[in-house]
Amino acid sequence: MKIAEVLQIMNQMQSDGIIDCYAIGGAVGATFYLEPISTLDVDVFVELHAGPGSRIVTLDPIFEYLRARGCTLEGEYVVISGWPVQFLPPSSPLVEEALRNAVATDVAGTPVRVFTAEYLAAIALQTGRAKDKARLLQFSEAGVLDEATFDAILTRHNLVDRWQRFLRQFLG
Amino acid sequence: MSNFDFERIWQSKRALHERLTSAPIAEKLRLLDAMRERAVAIRATRARNTATVREQSPPYGEQQ
Repeated sequence: MKIAEVLQIMNQMQSDGIIDCYAIGGAVGATFYLEPISTLDVDVFVELHAGPGSRIVTLDPIFEYLRARGCTLEGEYVVISGWPVQFLPPSSPLVEEALRNAVATDVAGTPVRVFTAEYLAAIALQTGRAKDKARLLQFSEAGVLDEATFDAILTRHNLVDRWQRFLRQFLG
Repeated sequence: MSNFDFERIWQSKRALHERLTSAPIAEKLRLLDAMRERAVAIRATRARNTATVREQSPPYGEQQ
C-alpha cells in the first residue's frame, strides 16, 4: 500500500497522454500543507476532453489504461497500489481555477501537481461538510494561507459572506 | 500518584502537531499509508466481530 506509487502512476499517465492536466486534492492534497490527515482514498482532479468525433467526456481511457496495468475497479474507484483513487472532473469554476493554478511539488524526486493551500481551503469552504469545516480550521490555525491570495479567491467565487459566517461561528 | 500538568500536555501536543506539519512530504505520505492500513484492519475486525454474533431462537413451543 504505497501512495508514492499512485503519484508516480499519475505522472506516467500524463507522459503517456492519457490525461492532460491533473492535481491532487482532498485530504491527501491537504497533507502537503498540514499534518497528515487520515483518509481512505485519493482524490485526483483531471481535465477531461471529449475524444475525436465525440461530444461525450468520459473516464473510460483512464480506466482502460489502469486496468491494463493490473489495477482493479471498485465502484467509482480505481485501486492503485492498494489505494482507492477517485478521478474527478472539475465540478465548479473554483475547482477549474484550482486545477489550472495547481503547483508542482517534489516528493522524493517525483514531481507531483497539488492544489495550493488557498484553493484547498476555498474548496473546503464551498463544499461545507463537517469534515471540510474541520480542515478549514486546520488551515487557518496552521497559518499556511496567504491572506491576500485567499481573499482574492473568495471574492472571485462569491465566498466572502460564507467565510465571514465561518469566522463568526468558529473563530469569533 | 500522577500529576497532570495540562499546560505541559498541551505544549507537548502542539509541538507534535507542529513537527508533523513541517515534516518532509515523503514522510507524511508514508504516515498516510500506515494510517490507512490501520483503518482498513480495524474495519475488517469490526466486520468480522459483528458477523459472528448470531443467536438462534429455540423452536416454537420448546422451553429454554
